[in-house]
Amino acid sequence: MDRRAFISYNAAIAVTQVAGVALTTRSEAAMAATRAQDIDFKSNLPAPGSFPDRWICGSSSCMDNTDPPVHVHWYNAHTAILRQNKAYSYEAPFAPLYFGNDRVLLLDEGFTQLRNDWDLRGVVDECIDEWCARNGRDPASMELLVAFSHLHADHYAATNQFADRPRTRYMGLTHEEMVGFWGMTNFPEERVTLDLGGREILIWGSPGHVVSEFAYYDSYTQILYTGDMFYRGRCYISFWEPWFDSMTRLIEFVDTHPVTHVMGCHVEISKDGEDYPYGVTYQPDEAPVQMTLQQLREAYDYAKTITEPGIYFTGTVFLCNQTRSMTTIDVNPYRYS
Amino acid sequence: MPQSPTSSYNPALSGNSQSATSRSYPNGNPVLGYNPVGARNTDSAVPLHGAGPVVHDYACEEAAAGSLSFRWTYGSNVAATNRDPRVQVVQYNEDTFVMRQNVCVHWEAPFTYLLFGNDGALLIDTGATANASHYPLRETVDAIVTRWGQARGRTSVPLTVALTSAEDIAQNQGLVQFAGRPDTMIVPKPLELMKLHYGVSASWPSGSGHIDLGDRVIEVIPTPGSHKDGVSFYDPYCDFLFTGDLLFPGRINISNDRDFVASLERLTAFAARNPVKWLLGGHIDMMFLPGKYYPRFRNFKPYERVLEMTPDLIGEALHHAREIAGKETMLIRPDFVLFNGVSPDQRSQVWPEGVPNIEAPRPF
Repeated sequence: MDRRAFISYNAAIAVTQVAGVALTTRSEAAMAATRAQDIDFKSNLPAPGSFPDRWICGSSSCMDNTDPPVHVHWYNAHTAILRQNKAYSYEAPFAPLYFGNDRVLLLDEGFTQLRNDWDLRGVVDECIDEWCARNGRDPASMELLVAFSHLHADHYAATNQFADRPRTRYMGLTHEEMVGFWGMTNFPEERVTLDLGGREILIWGSPGHVVSEFAYYDSYTQILYTGDMFYRGRCYISFWEPWFDSMTRLIEFVDTHPVTHVMGCHVEISKDGEDYPYGVTYQPDEAPVQMTLQQLREAYDYAKTITEPGIYFTGTVFLCNQTRSMTTIDVNPYRYS
Repeated sequence: MPQSPTSSYNPALSGNSQSATSRSYPNGNPVLGYNPVGARNTDSAVPLHGAGPVVHDYACEEAAAGSLSFRWTYGSNVAATNRDPRVQVVQYNEDTFVMRQNVCVHWEAPFTYLLFGNDGALLIDTGATANASHYPLRETVDAIVTRWGQARGRTSVPLTVALTSAEDIAQNQGLVQFAGRPDTMIVPKPLELMKLHYGVSASWPSGSGHIDLGDRVIEVIPTPGSHKDGVSFYDPYCDFLFTGDLLFPGRINISNDRDFVASLERLTAFAARNPVKWLLGGHIDMMFLPGKYYPRFRNFKPYERVLEMTPDLIGEALHHAREIAGKETMLIRPDFVLFNGVSPDQRSQVWPEGVPNIEAPRPF
């Protein structure tokens, strides 16, 4: 929305309130005209979609990177997946953007705070504009929900870029605010349904990596977004019991619901299972972000055998059980005797 | 208010030996006299139309004067938008240059050193990036050599390229840029050939070799430990010891603890025989907060410690290297961290006694 539209939009609201007359501006008219043709998010499921063969993944010399700060991939017409460029932050988290008839949900906001360092807000606005143009809607009519998978800065750093965005609500940075944002009273067991306007997102607690973490299931694409508690890399498990219970909840969920892909927030592993050390800014051969149900189940079966802190490789992910500040996988390549 | 000469503040002891803004005598200290010992040898009052090459007098009672009082470029929060020079050049004095690779080109941000003598120049180490468009080391060295040659009235300045460790990919990548450079001698990389070149085949690692730059003879001291082919260089003109990966203000990965201790013992003995002003290593990982350091792969290091280390740190490193020899562990000291046989990402819950534990604010 440009400045002119923004001003006239607010004026239109005021006029409507005072005069009680609808359809006074073009945008109101556009809104009303499109309400009739809601997109059907509930039949022919799962909605087909695809992941890119290769994500933007940094470069050997970061200052010579010419890729955009955010890689925007449209999984299908109503689902975008964003990824931060590794040359902008080594964390390079993924961020799904789900569109419904009334609302847009952005999950995770990357590891760079300021808008003049990377314009995430602008990228999200562009995606929304593009989607609205395709679907004949007024961007100003869409509510944006800015949420994150868990309470770590690489997932909420850019939240403040949305602070002055109209029709936007964003998650607070405390456990209480996060749980309250989804209206939960019985975290982590309670499963709530977020209605984006015909498109339902199921949300429940998934602690273990941190206390304050959610799993998100999109009923349209049937992608299960597992945040940092299960992703293609080193799952840093801070609290084993809650993590294992969360895995059990995930397995129970996938036993009863159709799931197309399991998707985490990062990739830290190559296609051949080679570990990319923490902090690396170039992953030329990285594994895909999406995982299969089979991989999730294998990891769960493997986890059942784990009794001690340590690093375990399930074939898909590294389970770093309570090891974060003690051990890593890499070795000094120059050792000799 | 003018600074009192009796001020008890000693910038050298505060780890701030050269900072122009924090010196106690920003306008100079007249008590020190007008002709300090090192200064006499940096005379460059050469004739306007010289008849021949200038022959510089490198004989020196104390360390030649010089200054490293620049801040190193330290990357940026968003590495992709960094616009700092790819190679930062700091001239220590007329015949000594320090170059640093941009942190956003490669996180190791290695230091390379260019020394001049009356018969030639020596480049110590070559950086972590081979691609000359990302890291134009050769171009930078060529420019410095050309200008230095013009100032000294020399048309030919033979260059020797030597590495503190040929196997270290953080220091040997730039070497390919010098392939085919005219009038250039590259010290061979394979360990046996390198020993042969320095003439220490029989005496490795106790002997020492020499690189004669013309009245400035650089001593080559075998110092394996971090790398099995590690060497250190001693410059008797500036009294610098270039220690590469063996000893630098950062995360020192010990690859063989017996060699590491033995090399530090040899350096201790060497420093007792020869004046050493500073140790200059290959990298900086430490912050200016004691015992705090940047992890690997970081492109933004705004709280970096200064590069130079005082020679007493050899003793400190030796003491603690002996302490952890034979143990797979890491040990934090105010000015360096030792990793013995553990992952380079190892973390420790043990904090050194008597060292203030100060958390750096998170830069965002």
